[in-house]
Amino acid sequence: MSLNEALQGKAYPPVIFEIEERRVRAFAAAVGHAGAGVPPTFATAPEHAAGLTNVIADAELGLDLAKILHGEQEYEWARSMQVGETLTAETAIESIRGRASMRFLVLRTLLRDEAGETVVAARSTLIVREGE
Amino acid sequence: MSARLAELSVGDHLFEVSRLVTREDVKAYADASGDQNPLHQDDAVARAAGFPGIVAHGMYTMGTLASAIVAWAGSEGSLARMRVQFRAPVFLNETIVCGGSVRSIDAASGTVVLDVWVRVERGGATEWPIRKSEAEVRLG
Repeated sequence: MSLNEALQGKAYPPVIFEIEERRVRAFAAAVGHAGAGVPPTFATAPEHAAGLTNVIADAELGLDLAKILHGEQEYEWARSMQVGETLTAETAIESIRGRASMRFLVLRTLLRDEAGETVVAARSTLIVREGE
Repeated sequence: MSARLAELSVGDHLFEVSRLVTREDVKAYADASGDQNPLHQDDAVARAAGFPGIVAHGMYTMGTLASAIVAWAGSEGSLARMRVQFRAPVFLNETIVCGGSVRSIDAASGTVVLDVWVRVERGGATEWPIRKSEAEVRLG
């Protein structure tokens, strides 16, 4: 099965994500984050919920979890995330490119706060090894 | 320019932080991040994908690097932007070394851009799970 390039630009339904203290503390311990605040890359939790979870479940796209590797990751933080706040995460397919044997699927995810302001902008590049 | 920024010069080596990658931390990372890909929890799945055993999440490695950057930045500093390339896997029970140096300084905005990396010694050679990557830090 090959990636469906016609889905470039497709946006997935937004996911509501509450930043829970317990989950933040577990994440912080796992990555050795010593500070009091929310670790910056905790953004991956809402990003994953809105992004990879939707993308893997999308039968139209034809993405096999066993054939993907994480190639690149980018975040821009407008401010720190806060425990107790609720973010809305929304992912779109930014691009699908590369050769037949190795494709690059780029996902763009925005995390917005209750006022609608963007808190974190994320870009994830997945390497898809096809034809194996 | 902040006093903190004025102390920095391009090329300065800022930090190196070592961390042992444990099965417990990688499992805790899977639960806290929501990434339950079996590549990161099941040796058989990892072997089928061509690896010798469980591979730590790239995002676990990026998160550990971010912790080192945040520790260096201190309570007055914050991460504004980070971009990494994952270039090699990290396996359980390895010790990763997270490092950073000054790439450029922007006095007007009070920010510094760091070159950041993660390396690991494996089989007598140095591998670079993260290399040619960058982080922009606001210094208070």
